[in-house]
Formats: sequence, C-alpha cells, structure tokens
Amino acid sequence: MLSLSHEQKKRIGFTFVMELLKPASPYGRDAVRRIQPFAPGQEAALRIELQNIAKTLSAMPILKNEYTRLEQTFAQVKGIRRSIERIGQDLNEVDLFEIKRFLIQLRDITELFESVDTIADYTGINIEPATPALKLLDPENSAVATFHISSRDFPILAKIRKEKKEVERKLRENPKSDDIDLLHTLRATLASKEQAQEQYAMQWLSEKLIPWRGLLLSNTEAIGRLDLLLQKAKLAATYISCMPEIVVGVICFEEMSNPQLESILSAGGRTFTPLTMEMQTGATVITGANMGGKSVALKTLALNVLLMHCGFYPFASSASCTLFDSIHLISDDLETADRGLSSFGGEIVALQDVLSEVSCGKNALVILDEFARGTNPTEGSAIAKGVCAYMNKQNAFTVMSTHYEGVAALANMHYQVAGLRKLELDTTLLKDMQKASVSARISEIASCMDYGLVRVSADEALPQDALNICRLLSLDERIVDFIEMNMV
Amino acid sequence: MDMTLFDLIRNYKSLSISGMCKNAGKTTALNTLINSSPDKEILALTSIGRDGEKTDTVTKTQKPDIYIREGSLFATAEQLLKFCDVTKEILDTTHISTPLGSVVLVRALSDGYVQLAGPSIIVQLVDISPYFWALGADRLIIDGSVGRKTLCTKLLADATILCTGASFSQSMEETILETQHTCRILMTPELPMLKSQISPIVPDTKYVILGKEKICLPDGAALHEHLKQTANPNYLYIEGALTDRFLDLLMRSGYPKGLTIVTHDASRLLISSDNLCKLNAIGGALGVLESINLAAITINPFSAYGQHYNSMEFKEKMTAAVPVPVLNVLEC
Repeated sequence: MLSLSHEQKKRIGFTFVMELLKPASPYGRDAVRRIQPFAPGQEAALRIELQNIAKTLSAMPILKNEYTRLEQTFAQVKGIRRSIERIGQDLNEVDLFEIKRFLIQLRDITELFESVDTIADYTGINIEPATPALKLLDPENSAVATFHISSRDFPILAKIRKEKKEVERKLRENPKSDDIDLLHTLRATLASKEQAQEQYAMQWLSEKLIPWRGLLLSNTEAIGRLDLLLQKAKLAATYISCMPEIVVGVICFEEMSNPQLESILSAGGRTFTPLTMEMQTGATVITGANMGGKSVALKTLALNVLLMHCGFYPFASSASCTLFDSIHLISDDLETADRGLSSFGGEIVALQDVLSEVSCGKNALVILDEFARGTNPTEGSAIAKGVCAYMNKQNAFTVMSTHYEGVAALANMHYQVAGLRKLELDTTLLKDMQKASVSARISEIASCMDYGLVRVSADEALPQDALNICRLLSLDERIVDFIEMNMV
Repeated sequence: MDMTLFDLIRNYKSLSISGMCKNAGKTTALNTLINSSPDKEILALTSIGRDGEKTDTVTKTQKPDIYIREGSLFATAEQLLKFCDVTKEILDTTHISTPLGSVVLVRALSDGYVQLAGPSIIVQLVDISPYFWALGADRLIIDGSVGRKTLCTKLLADATILCTGASFSQSMEETILETQHTCRILMTPELPMLKSQISPIVPDTKYVILGKEKICLPDGAALHEHLKQTANPNYLYIEGALTDRFLDLLMRSGYPKGLTIVTHDASRLLISSDNLCKLNAIGGALGVLESINLAAITINPFSAYGQHYNSMEFKEKMTAAVPVPVLNVLEC
C-alpha cells in the first residue's frame, strides 16, 4: 500500500498516536515500528486484528490483574532474537543465559496468556512454552534465571571440575607452600580442559536446541503482537473509538476526532468538535470559512482511515470504510523545495502521480487540501473545478476542500464547515473585541466558530465569513467599507 | 604493628584503585585486597576500561593476573569471558556496551583468574553498583585505569587507593613530587555548603562568582570584567575544568585576594604542581563540591622499564611527602 510520507503522517497526527503506544517489551516496540496498513484482499486478517482488540476490551475489566502481570512480565523480556537465531551455531554462555531466561519468562507468559485467553479467546495469537528446551538449560530444575554449564550430563566435565576444585583448595590453604608453582600449572591445565569440555557442552546444547528455534522465534513474534494489541486496546479505551466495519464503496465516520489536534486545542482551553463525514466514490467537496477547520477535517479523515487500515479502532463513534490500495494527501505545504518545484508545481506533479494510479484501477483515497490555491484565482478556480469534475467520474474517493465558488456543484457531495453563521455581529461585541488583544480576539473567534461539518446541497452558496473575521480582528473600518463596496 | 592495606579500607563499602602510571601495582594491590578480605565476604569487582590482561597491551610487560575466590561477583565484557578461567554462572546482562561486547555480571563458582573490562563511562559504572548490591555483594572494588583521576567522586566509591611506582619516572624525586601533587589534588577540601549557593545555574553558565551576591557568567571575557568590578569575591565556581592556561591568565591579571576556585570534583582540577604552588603562595585556594577519601598510597619500587628504586628510601621519602599512609605494594 502506497502510504503517506513520514512528514504527512506527522501532520495528520498519526505519529502522535503511535507515540501514545507504550509497549512493554522490545518485541512490542518492534511490532510498533513494523506497523503496516492492511491492503484490499487482507480484509479477513484485518477483521481478526480488530476483533482481537474487541476481545481485549471486553476481557480487560474482568482480568485486570492478569493483564497487568502480563505487561509486567513483558517489561522484563529482553530482545534476544540474535541469540535465538544463532541456535545451531556457536552459542556462548551469555546466549544460553539469555535463552534460558527467555524460556523461564515464556513459561510465566504462557500461563498468564492461557488465563486471559480462556476469557478473551484470541484468534491467531499462539504463545507456547518450550518446557523441554528449558529442561535442557536447567537440568537441575533450579528455576533460577541464571545460567551455568551444568556438569550433570557431562561426567568428564564433572570430574575435571572436581579435580580443579581440589587444587584450588590446596592453593588457598597453603599459599606459601613449596609446590605452589606446580599447583598453579596443574590448575591451569585443568582449567583449559574444563574450558574445552564446556565448549563441547555448549555445542551440544546448541544442537539440542535446534528443534526449538522456530518456536522461540514465533513466540517473540506473538509476544510482540500481543503487546501491541494491548496497547491498541488501551488506546481504544482512552478515546471515543469504535470497531469499524469493513465495507465496499463507502466511507462513513460519525463523530470523528483526532488526539493530536485535541491535545493542542485542550492546551489552549478549547475542545475539538467531532466531525461526521460520509462519502462514496467520486468527489466530495468541503467548503467553509477561513479558520473554520477544513484542513482539520481532512487531516482527521486521513488519520482515521489510516488507523483503521493499520488495525486500530478509529477515533469515531461509528465507522465503516472500504479498504484502499493507497491514501494520498496533496496540499500546498508539501515539501517540494528539494525537487525544485513551487508549491503549485508540487501539487500538479503529485496529482499526476495519483491520476496514473487511479487510471490503473487502483482503489485510492485522494485528499486535496485547497488544491491550486497558490496560483491566480481565475485559473486556480478553473483548475479546481476541472479536477473536481474529472475525479467525480473516477472510481476513486476524492475529498477536496476549496475556497473557490462553483466547485461543489461539480461534486456528488458537499460539506460545509458551519462556521460563524450562528454569530450575530452586534455593535457591543465588536466594541468589546476592539479592546481585546490580538490573541484574545483569535480565541474569541474560535469560541464563536462552529467547527462541525454540515452536509449541504451542491449549490449551497459559500459562507461569507471572511469579512466578519476581518471585523472581529478589528481591521480598520475604512478598509472594511471599501471591501464591502467591492463585494457588490 | 603496621596497618595492612585491607585495614585501611575495611570501613569502606566501595572503593576504587587508581594508578599514577602503568605498572604502578594496581593489580597487585587489588589481589592483596582480595586475599586479605575475610573468606565469607562477597567481593564484587569491576574495572573502568580494561584490566587484568596477562601482558600489558601498552608496555608489553608481564602483569599479575586477578585471582578471585569462589563466590565472588564480577562485571566484565562478554568477549573477555573466555579469558576468565573460573567456573562461571551468568547472573545478568546489561545494556552497557564496551568495545568488547556488553557488560555481563558473573558469579565465580570456583577460584580462578578473571579479566575485567567494565564500562568506560563513569555514569555507567555508577549504574553497575546497584546490580551488585542486589546480588548480595558485601564490598565493591573498582579497578581504575591509569591517569583516570575521574574516579574522584563519592558517587562511585567511598574511597580510593592511589598506586604509584618506579615505572612513573627514572627519577624518584619526580615520582614523589608528582604523587604528592596528585595527592594534594585528590585531597582538595570539599565545600558541600556551596552546592546550594551555586545552584540553580542559569543555562550556558561557565563561571559563577560568589561574593556578596551570585553572578552567573557565560564566558571568560565576562568573567574578566566582573572579577575586576566585584569587591572581594569569595568563590569562583568553574562549570568545566580548571586548566593551567586559565590559572595563568587569572594570576597575571591580578588574582583576587582570598579567592577560592571551586570545581565539581578533583578530576576537573587539571593544573600542574608548579601552578598549585604559585596559587598557594599568593593566598589562593582550591575547593571541590564532591571529594573522595584517599585511603592509602601504595608504592611499587620495581619498574617495568628496568630502573628500580631502593624500596626503603622510596617508602621513607614518600611517607614524608604525603599525609596519608604509604605501603609497599609487595609487602602490604
């Protein structure tokens, strides 16, 4: 799936959401790094992933302690894939220590997992103990998470160690004896024999572990997957979210939100207005006032579509969405400078890339944020209309925000940001505003603004909020008069 | 009867061993401590950087091995485990990496030789000690490498032993003078009450003048200006190190009467013995926010380069030169 660029993921708030995930194990962190969107054809796998979130959400309140302990155990797990991969080759005692410790942790994790799985009944997550492998590394059944090469199965090693101990005892008891040099030489010989036998024992263990290598690796995968799943469920529980329906030919999100924008707004003492959008193939146009949140709506849509594709609950009260081959976001703040293009040029090049993909029959979501706003209004408007009319006939989903008049009439759906339409601009308010500081005025506008999306008819006139905003920001009366004269 | 080296450190739970030069007898001192510690005491050993090789990788001379007792704990780099001939029990692995692999914590299941290569960064060394205490260690000994006067903070160890010897210089006088100087630096008085006066420091501050008021300064030029204007500054705190060049400049432009120069710890006092004498002569003084106890000085009259000293003479002269106990490393 052709995904959004790193920069775009950051801008729509996807990176912010990923940073909210705090997997406890290194395998969970790996799983976060490797998150990939599910593509058309993988609906079944995506459904399983989403259902696993639902199962976690219903099991978590019942098994609070078990889940907490599971996460605590995850936190103790170390990343030892490299040691596991070397099984069958030259494992040293540190590798064997890591593998033994993992096997002990795995035993605890399996127990805990089994207890949650009886209630949660996960699909596709298999954590299995490797008890015989642990027995190999812990023949004395000490259950201690340390490792030494046991001489239990190696009588020669046992004999050498016994002899060496005896020499060491003599050395310790008679440090000034005459044959001290002799004893040291003897000890050195025994120590090198011991080392050779230990080498042999490690090789033997390494070979005995070969049948378990695959299981150990798949367990690391499963731990990572479960760890990530718990994080997804926690995220879903923290925000308003829902189990999305995977459908064909429709995008419908009710009361969507965006945690990143929410956190920015709440830092300024404001709240995010949930957005509802429904659309079909063809073009959907969003119009609305400046500062009204058209870009916010597009980013929030892109975020939730992408999250659902990645196997997350979208932040919405209800959601159904089709699976896309690709999601595109084109806005004139694209970083095109390094390609030597103006922002307008950048938009055009990006659009052409999208068009070639759409014409190949790929199922795409195309989001255009004020396309062609950087060029002159006459041509810009014509370009926006042309693109809208063309995309409306394609088998892709196109959402475009625009300031240009007449674009929405060419789309099959039209949304408007409610904006300032509710606001009565009386003289008292204007006078009050004039006394306030600029930042106070901006937040006043924000408090008057209705950021909600309203579905309107295709030929609904564009809101004329720009002039009201000029007034609220206390633009000189004389200029406002001139502006009004020009609007007639 | 004379105190043994172990007697001198008996009351310190953790200590470091630092050397004036290669072959100063650090490892001998370490082995002495290991041998004289009670049998039931669990010793934990690590080093800053690498130590315990059979031949010194710098001077190619034969070096004594570290021979530890069954039950001892040690932290060393993964790749050195094959050179440790004790029977090993791996206790834990750490995220501390060294050029020889990450640091591993091991219990010796038999007596034997070990090679130590602990973290080469002080902060990481500080991280290691809690592991040892949790594993039941009674005493921690850190084998410091040469010229590492950085082992001077209590954060790391309660006390230090300074090792010096004939390998430092052909001239016994020079060895004694330099050891005496290092000793003075290590024993720079601690001024803990200054800590609260100095902090908080404005960001980008390099110098703090403490007189009637506190002045934070970003660079040498500003310091120069302010020292002229400030009447009777008591303390000058340097965020980094005090160097000879800085001290020269300060003394040439008129050293403020009664001023004490303060650094964080003695490892930041990078000045020659000549300069320290000059400073003392004009009534200046040094201080540190954190000091370490200098428990003893050990001397090694044998030189790796062949120019041995007379042991009796060396010990007598050194004893006269320093205010701490001096022991011949081969007899302690």
